[in-house]
Amino acid sequence: MKKTAMLSAAAFIGINLVFPAAAAQNIRAKADVVCEPTKENLTYDCKIKLVDARTNAPLTGVTLTVGADMPSMPGVHNLRSVIAQAQGDPGNYRAILELEMTGVWALRLDITGATRDRVVKVLRFGDD
Amino acid sequence: MDDHVVSVLSNIGVISFVALSAYLLLLTGEISFGQQAFFGIGAYAAAIATAMWGWPLAAGLMLGALAGASSALLVGLPTLRLHGLYFAVATLAFAEMIRILLELFHYQVAVDGELVGPNGTDGFGGIRYVFQNKIGAFEYMLLIYTLLATALAGLWLLERSRLGVAFRMIGGDETLAKTSGIAITRHRMIAAALAGALAGIGGGLYAHLTTYIEPRIFDIMLGVHALAYGLIGGLGTALGPLLGVLIDIGLLGSTRLFSGYRMIVFGGLVAVLLIFRPRGLLNEEMVHRIGSFWRRVWPTDPSQKSHGKT
Amino acid sequence: MIDFVQTTVDGVMVGCSYGLLAIGFTLIFGVIRRLNLSYGPSIMVGAYLGTFLYVQFGAGPLLVAVAVVAGAAIAGIYVERLCFAPMKGGAGVASMVSSFAIWMQLEQAMILLLPRHTYAFPALATGAPWEFGPFTLRPDQLLMLILAIATGIIVNTIIYRTRFGTGLRLVTSNQIAAHLVGVNVRNVMLGAFALASAVGGFAGFLVLAIDQQVTPMFGMWATIKGLIAMMIGGLGSVPGAIAGGLVLGVIEAHAQGLVGPQARDLTAYLLLFLCLVLRPGGLFGKAPEADGAFSSRST
Repeated sequence: MKKTAMLSAAAFIGINLVFPAAAAQNIRAKADVVCEPTKENLTYDCKIKLVDARTNAPLTGVTLTVGADMPSMPGVHNLRSVIAQAQGDPGNYRAILELEMTGVWALRLDITGATRDRVVKVLRFGDD
Repeated sequence: MDDHVVSVLSNIGVISFVALSAYLLLLTGEISFGQQAFFGIGAYAAAIATAMWGWPLAAGLMLGALAGASSALLVGLPTLRLHGLYFAVATLAFAEMIRILLELFHYQVAVDGELVGPNGTDGFGGIRYVFQNKIGAFEYMLLIYTLLATALAGLWLLERSRLGVAFRMIGGDETLAKTSGIAITRHRMIAAALAGALAGIGGGLYAHLTTYIEPRIFDIMLGVHALAYGLIGGLGTALGPLLGVLIDIGLLGSTRLFSGYRMIVFGGLVAVLLIFRPRGLLNEEMVHRIGSFWRRVWPTDPSQKSHGKT
Repeated sequence: MIDFVQTTVDGVMVGCSYGLLAIGFTLIFGVIRRLNLSYGPSIMVGAYLGTFLYVQFGAGPLLVAVAVVAGAAIAGIYVERLCFAPMKGGAGVASMVSSFAIWMQLEQAMILLLPRHTYAFPALATGAPWEFGPFTLRPDQLLMLILAIATGIIVNTIIYRTRFGTGLRLVTSNQIAAHLVGVNVRNVMLGAFALASAVGGFAGFLVLAIDQQVTPMFGMWATIKGLIAMMIGGLGSVPGAIAGGLVLGVIEAHAQGLVGPQARDLTAYLLLFLCLVLRPGGLFGKAPEADGAFSSRST
C-alpha cells in the first residue's frame, strides 16, 4: 500500500519535471468541416477550412492529417489517418475518407508544422 | 515511430487502465459492469482542471484519480454488500446514471473566444493541454506507459502483499476469508477505491490524448469490454488484461485485418477460447508454469522466499 | 388527472413488451443461473431477418413475425451451444463474457446484412386512434396488449402444463435432483433457450411494429430493458418479470411526461439501483441466495 503510494507520488513528480505547465501562447486552430458522400460506398469527400480561432485568419503552411474514431467504442474503430491536400483559397483543405460503417464519427484533425494542434469534429455519416 | 503506431499504442495504454480496474475487482470476486463510469468521471475531472482551470497536467490527472476513487467509494457503500449478478447490475445502473448525468452537464467558459467545457451530449472538446505545452505524441505515449508501468508495479507489489493475498482469498472463498479473520467490507472498499483511482487516471490520460470526450464514450460497451479483456488475456496476473487489450485494439482494431468481418471472427474466437480456457490465456496455471520455468532457467538464492503461486 | 390516466395507460402498453422481454430473460437465468448478454442481440437477429424479408420482398406482418421469432430462436440455440453448453459448472463469468463476444459477432453480422442505420418495419395495424371521451388509444397498441397477454398465457401453459415445462421447473429449482429423476438437463437448457429467445423475439416484433423502424441499437436496448425489468421483478420469477415490466413501463412513461426524455432512462436506472440496494430480491423475488453460480469464483 505504502509502496504503491510512493511509486505514484514519484511518477507524478516526474511528470511535473518533464512537462512543466508552460504558459505557451501558440495558435489555437478552429475548423469547419463539410463531408459529402462520393460514388464509392462509405467513401466521403471532406472539405476543411482551418482558421486561427483568435484572429479568424486562415491557417497556412501546416500539414493536416485527418483520422476518425467512433465515440461509441474508443480505440476500436480507429481509422488510419490520411493527409489532407491544400486546395483553393488559403486555409482550405480536402481529404477523402474511407469509413468502416455509417454512423457518428469523431474526425481527428491533426495539425503539424508551423503550429501543432488537434481539433475534433463530430459528424454523422450516412443516409439518414 | 509512425504516427498511426503511436496513436494505436497510446490508445492501448489508456484502455489498459480501465481493463486493470475491472481486473482488480475480479480478483476480489466482484464483477463490475461499471468501471467505465470512473473512467468517465476521471476524464471529465482532469479535463476540466487543465482546460478550464489552467491546472498543470499532473494535478489534473491527480484530480481525476481522486474523483475516480472517491466516487467508487461513494457507490461502494451501498453496493458492496451485494454479490454476483446483483452487484454487477447495480454497478451498471450506477454507471448509466453517471452517463446520463454527464449528458445533462453543462459548464462552459470562454477560452480564446471559444467556449470550452462539458456541453451535454455535444461533448467536451478543446482539451488542448498537450498541444499548448508542445508535448509530442511520442512523449505523451511515453507518459502513458510510464504511468501504466507504475500502476503495474503497484499491482505487482500489491499481489505480493498481505492486502493482495486477502483480495484473492476473498475472491476465492469469502466465507473462508471471513473465518480467517479478514475484514471483508474494508478490503472490498480498498479494492473499489484503488480500482476507481486506476480508471480515473486512465480517463484523465484518455481525455488529454484525444482532446475530446463525450458521455457516449463511457457507456456499457466500454465497461463490458474492460471486463472481457481480463478474461481473454487471463486472470493469473495483471499482464492478462493488457494482453486482452493488445489483442483487441492492437491486433484487430488497428490493422484492419478482416475489416468488416472483424467482430465476427473475433467474437467467435473469444467464445471458443473461453470454452478451453475459462480464466483466459494467462490463467493462474500458466503463470505458475512460466514462473517455475523461469526459476529453473534463472535459479535464485534458495534462502530467498519463493513467490509465484497465487 | 386525465393526463395521469393517459400516461399510465401508455406506460402499461410499453410495459407489456418489457414484461415479455423479461420473461425470456428470466427463463434463461432460471435454468442456467448465468447472465446471457446475447439475449437482446439474438432478438435482433430475428428482427433483422424479418426486416430483410420486409425490405427485400415486401413480406407482410405475419410472415415477418414468424421470421423474427424463428430467427431469434435459432440465434438463441446458437448462443446456448457456443457460450453455455460447453462451460463446466462454475465458469459463470466466462460464459457471460463469451455471450458478450457473441453479441458483438451477431451485431456485426446483422449490420453486414442490412448496413444502413435505420430501416422501416411493418406496422401491426393501421387506423386512426380511437377516442374514448378524453382518452385516446392506438389500435396497434391495443393489439399489442392483447398479443402480449396471449403470449404470457401460452408461456404459462408451457411451463405449468407440459412435460417440458415440468422438466424446466425441476431444473430451475434443483439441477442435480432433476438429473437424478431422469430429466435430460442439457435438452431442457437448449429448449429453455429456444423458448426464451422465441418469446423475446415476439416481444421484439411487437415493439418494432409499434415503432415501425429498426436500428442496430435494438439488440442492446432489448438486453438492457429486459435486464432491468427482470431485476426489478425478481430473478427467476415469471409473474415478477411481468410485474417488473409493467412497473418499469409506467414509471418511465410518467418520468418522460413530467420531465423529459433523458429523465426517462435516468429514472429507469435509478429505480433499478434503488431496487437492488434496498430490496435485492426484487419486488416479487426471494432474497438473493440462489445466486451462487453467478460469481467470478470458478474452477
